[in-house]
Amino acid sequence: MYDNVIDKSKDITILELLDRVLNKGVILTGDIVISVADVDLVYLGLKLMLSSVETMEQLKSGNSIVKR
Amino acid sequence: MEMMIYAVLSAEKDPEKFNALMVGVKGIEGADLYSVSCKEITAVISDLNHASLIADRSNAIEYAGVVETLAQDYSLLPMRFGSRMDSTDAVVRMLEKNHDEFRKNLQIVEGKWEFGLKIFCDSEKLKAELRAKPEADYKAQDGLASEVKNSVFRDYVNKKLKEHRFEELLVSYVESVIAEITGNLERMNAVSKFKKLSSATMIIDAVFLLENGKRGELIQTVQDLQAKYPGLTFVLTGPWPPYNFVEISIK
Repeated sequence: MYDNVIDKSKDITILELLDRVLNKGVILTGDIVISVADVDLVYLGLKLMLSSVETMEQLKSGNSIVKR
Repeated sequence: MEMMIYAVLSAEKDPEKFNALMVGVKGIEGADLYSVSCKEITAVISDLNHASLIADRSNAIEYAGVVETLAQDYSLLPMRFGSRMDSTDAVVRMLEKNHDEFRKNLQIVEGKWEFGLKIFCDSEKLKAELRAKPEADYKAQDGLASEVKNSVFRDYVNKKLKEHRFEELLVSYVESVIAEITGNLERMNAVSKFKKLSSATMIIDAVFLLENGKRGELIQTVQDLQAKYPGLTFVLTGPWPPYNFVEISIK
């Protein structure tokens, strides 16, 4: 019964996961390097555009390697 | 050799199990995991292959898998993907400098998991329902009566007023749903964060930090809310490590 409520949908779960891994957690200022290799990371064919999209857009508009 | 940091935790409660995890779990691209500590605070790290920093789906999922596996046995603070330091000494120094903050945050997340709740609506349908409410009609008529008649701008102004009133009704509606969720969460001692109207269809984007044993209660609450609001779609995800509940400015 619970599985109907806790969403196991692969796409939504992956988007939720990416949003957390890329945008949340403890930020180590000055030592984070993120390289963008696969643009399709953020376009998974869903309307659920999470904040990962914003992050990726920022990275795409700048250098492919960003140091903060 | 540079290090990638996955999470910060306290391994004090079961050091043997922790050592077994360090042997049994692999980092990104099969890298060996190991740990460095400062007092009771431990960072889980692996040597860094530069390819591991590519933020593609595969690496991000692998990274999340490591954090998730550790979180099954230890309350932890996930590091953001891509966190790296130059050496184990640098990691130890970072732990020393931020020891109190790590300890405080670990206490907050101890024995808890994060859940995400997104609430979607069919915006056109919701718009129609809200406009059908008596107070909407009343407000609309009241507003229209005060309009300047025969103005060339009348239609435009009326349209804008209606849009504005609809926005007010929508915000009020969303706030009433949030109040209902919050009321239920308070009974569960949950910590929650809400974002309203994140997009045209997502009216609420929330995260909760909840004790392990309260999971069933949360699910029941969401099921009840779904039954009460059939026009909305509730999507609950989790349990997640507490990515949204770490509040540390690393020094």
